[in-house]
Amino acid sequence: MIMRSGQQLLLPASPVFIWGSLLAALLLNMLPLGRVLWMPDSLALVLLFWSVHQPLRVGVGVAFMFGLFMDVNQTSLLGLHALAYTVLSYFASQAQRHLLWYKVPLQALQVLPLLALAHAVQMLIRLIGGGTFPGWMLLLAPVLEASLWPVVSVLLLVPQRRAPDRDESRPL
Amino acid sequence: MALGTLDRSLPPFFNQGPSVLSKLVFFGALSVFLMVADVRFHLTQPIRAALSTALLPVQWLALKPADALRYSRDYVSGLSQAQSNSIEASKKLALQSLRAGQVEQLTQENNRLRKLLGLREQLAIPVMAAEVLYDVADLYTRKVILDKGQVQGVELGSPVLDESGVLGQVTRVHPLVSEVTLLIDSELSIPVLNVRTGARSVAYGDPGAGSSGLELRFMGGNSDVQPGDLLTTSGVDGVYPPGLPVAKVRHIEGRSESAFLKIDCQPLALVTGTRHVIVVKPVVSQIPLRPALEAPPARGKKGAAS
Repeated sequence: MIMRSGQQLLLPASPVFIWGSLLAALLLNMLPLGRVLWMPDSLALVLLFWSVHQPLRVGVGVAFMFGLFMDVNQTSLLGLHALAYTVLSYFASQAQRHLLWYKVPLQALQVLPLLALAHAVQMLIRLIGGGTFPGWMLLLAPVLEASLWPVVSVLLLVPQRRAPDRDESRPL
Repeated sequence: MALGTLDRSLPPFFNQGPSVLSKLVFFGALSVFLMVADVRFHLTQPIRAALSTALLPVQWLALKPADALRYSRDYVSGLSQAQSNSIEASKKLALQSLRAGQVEQLTQENNRLRKLLGLREQLAIPVMAAEVLYDVADLYTRKVILDKGQVQGVELGSPVLDESGVLGQVTRVHPLVSEVTLLIDSELSIPVLNVRTGARSVAYGDPGAGSSGLELRFMGGNSDVQPGDLLTTSGVDGVYPPGLPVAKVRHIEGRSESAFLKIDCQPLALVTGTRHVIVVKPVVSQIPLRPALEAPPARGKKGAAS
């Protein structure tokens, strides 16, 4: 087991927590907040996180399925989000071997192009399909998502960072 | 420390399944296929209906916070809001009652005249009340989701109105919900009639970024349009019943590079934030079919052969 020095040994991830977090992200995306151009795509972020940290559990297939859910919810072309998330998950699984060697802020910098790519895939297909460009604020979305990466990294790893043996004097 | 406490386990040696790249190719191709099937062949409706029904519980959960927020806001601002609403409603009623009186008389007169002319009775319009579940957050289209679907009898293509005018048209029907494309979506167009001049034209959703309006296209530079003109449905399409208010002309601009005017219209319905709507059955289902064409008279051998 080779890992970055100073990195904490983690407990195994519980599948219930992985699926729960993915569903929660889907729920966040489905909140009726109206049309906001720079709204970060929480589902893309959580999918990317698990594709990097648990590539054997969450991969291209799961990303495709959640993409279909987003398509149905947003009434977009069936397969649009699915393609974007598939591509995102593929590049995540390619990047995961080197990504985890960096500290979390540097990881955020490196996932930015991946998230931007996911948005670009969506936009490209829309423009091919005859859509109009919605506005430059769109560029802010991947940046916001990448800046949320450290937050997500802390939140989603909390259950794995518990002590292996229960200790009354150390709750977490 | 017990066994299996650490996250890093060895990946399986032999049973690895297909490679990530082949998965990418497979799912990528599948999504492209789905998109093409969706756009070109309209084959994906069953998948969409099934997924949307499966998503309903999650959707219900997602709508709860918004409902709670709205409820608490309503509760706080309740009384004053109710009072001002009732004052506004009674004002509107007073205005309407004048019109209503005239309408009664005009309807009677119209009926008599129609009978006189032996014309078909004016079509009665069956309607259904529905509620908007949520605005679709998609950035490239303007749609809302209604809480009535196929089970409740919503039909594809039905016009949707709110209290002040035409809102849009039902473009997809799922078992329990349905999708309404708003007038301001760039893919929707609606035939309209300028009430002042009687000129017919077609209004298109304005695709301009951030604008929520309609555009009246193909009106010549010398056509008689003024800001403030009321546009109503003309009824020539067989979808929208005639005479429903659609939009008001907001701004007119001559363009040097084209023979047509650029006419910007403001939709009368509340295209953002409306809540209660009615779904009207498309008129086309009530109009009798066109009588079959008479068989062409038999021509020579050549005609029979071809």
